[in-house]
Amino acid sequence: MQFTRQLYSAAMRMTRNPSDAEDLVQETYLKAYRAYHTFEEGTNLKAWLYRILTNTYINKYRKESRRPSEVDLGSVEDLYLYRRIGSEESAEVARTTEDRVLDGLVESDIKKAVEDLPENFRLPVLLADLEGFSYKEIAEILDVPIGTVMSRLHRGRKAMQKSLWEYAVKRGLVPEGAERP
Amino acid sequence: MSGRECDDALTNLYRYLDREADVISAEQIRAHLDDCSGCLRSFDFESRLKIVIRERLSEDVPAEFIQRLRQAVARESTAPL
Repeated sequence: MQFTRQLYSAAMRMTRNPSDAEDLVQETYLKAYRAYHTFEEGTNLKAWLYRILTNTYINKYRKESRRPSEVDLGSVEDLYLYRRIGSEESAEVARTTEDRVLDGLVESDIKKAVEDLPENFRLPVLLADLEGFSYKEIAEILDVPIGTVMSRLHRGRKAMQKSLWEYAVKRGLVPEGAERP
Repeated sequence: MSGRECDDALTNLYRYLDREADVISAEQIRAHLDDCSGCLRSFDFESRLKIVIRERLSEDVPAEFIQRLRQAVARESTAPL
């Protein structure tokens, strides 16, 4: 079976737990098999499977979600993480800190940073950054305009960088005194 | 390192890293990165971060689940997925 690892990884970040992720992936495959006659040969099988996964997730789990659907970005600027790391440092020191942050952010930090995004930001970020789908494919999978995909990706990534910075500070990956807000 | 070119490059940074920039703007960005070490460093950081995020989001699928999944789909049609 193709794409099991990818679908399972996405499902884990959507549902946030293994048992729901397994249910979601299984349901996705079963629906795909049942609906296979509607799949047009030569079109994008992976995107088709993700569309089923995403719709199944939304229909099944969204009702239960009480999470906010906006991200509070306050004064979070572009390149947030990079600028925090590099601010007021020499290029050499900054480079060392960059390496330490990129090496030192563990899987659980990155997973948590994605999982904490509200769903309408989390799904585009997953589809782009975990799967590398194009903006057009993401728009089709989520059934929203391309402009919406781009703005949610932009905001979602910023919010993620803000969390990653907080994890980097917590783990002591950045120099003392760098953790001002 | 003109401010305007840097601003343009940054505006297009994610489009470029996502391979969504059109040919002309991708070319302009590459030319700018050749000249501007500041922007090159920020692009380099963002592209490394993108890789780190992708790698560390990937999950191992539990073997028992693959087993169960195979059995479940075996009961379904013979679609060649």
